[in-house]
Amino acid sequence: MELIVNGKRREVTDGASLTVLLNELNINPLRVAVQLNLEIVKRERYGKTVLKAGDRLEIITFMAGGAE
Amino acid sequence: MEKSDVLTFAGRRFRSRLIVGTGKYPDYLSMQRAHDASGAEIVTVAVRRVNLDRTQESLLDYIDTKRYTLLPNTAGCYTAEEAIKTAILAREVGLSDLVKLEVIGDQRTLFPDNEELLNATRVLVKEGFVVLPYTNDDPVMAKKLEDAGAAAVMPLGAPIGSGLGIRNPYNIKIILETARVPVIVDAGVGTASDAAIAMELGCDGVLMNTGIAGAKDPVAMAEAMRHAVLAGRLAYLAGRIPKKLYATASSPLEGMIE
Repeated sequence: MELIVNGKRREVTDGASLTVLLNELNINPLRVAVQLNLEIVKRERYGKTVLKAGDRLEIITFMAGGAE
Repeated sequence: MEKSDVLTFAGRRFRSRLIVGTGKYPDYLSMQRAHDASGAEIVTVAVRRVNLDRTQESLLDYIDTKRYTLLPNTAGCYTAEEAIKTAILAREVGLSDLVKLEVIGDQRTLFPDNEELLNATRVLVKEGFVVLPYTNDDPVMAKKLEDAGAAAVMPLGAPIGSGLGIRNPYNIKIILETARVPVIVDAGVGTASDAAIAMELGCDGVLMNTGIAGAKDPVAMAEAMRHAVLAGRLAYLAGRIPKKLYATASSPLEGMIE
């Protein structure tokens, strides 16, 4: 199925959970925050959150930067 | 300096009064070494989408979160709404409930949008954040931010990344006179003397990024800034002599050789 992850289309295994997606993307879940269709998903719910085709995900983390 | 001389806000205590950024370094290793040389205990980080086509390493591999307190910023936000959203996501990462609140009003100067900044401060304070707003050197605005619940106020010395130093020390002085929360100069510091001046004025801390990261030798500049902040703080506590127009001899006039 196709999802929109950080603004880009991405193919993911059907019925994958958020944990599976992060794993596929090689992302450490302890270093990110996730928003699914504009709602924040708490980390403890990543495993139970089953993704659907067309879901829009924002996965954010800390990057280098001091000010603007 | 007395051990009790610490930077305190929102019940947290820091021995270092220097806060440093993570941007613009030639590489993560020099950033890490500069952080170490600066003696800083707080480092600012940007909040961004994970790069999904990553070949580069993660910033967090180079910051020991047991040693450094992370200060996520809302850099690049132009409205209160964007800044609030960014802060909430940053807190959700679970490493910090601090936010260096930036709401930019103009792309060329990166001066803050006061109205949006104040609105965002109110909302985020209510949401339980420790809000450290980046503001201009306006004493009235500083007071409003403090009244809105900001844990500290962070007036700019000069535009972000300009390296122009403390352009209006008198305004900073006035902010210091009225503020009951720490005053941290944020932005404008170009070299060590700028940081020392901020501290000599009585500021509680200095935040900088480009001044260190953009120097030819960031690690050496980080060390210089550490000394400057310490020297400025000590000079402030020591109490400087008044400025006078004419000389005052420091050697006795008695016993002169005839």
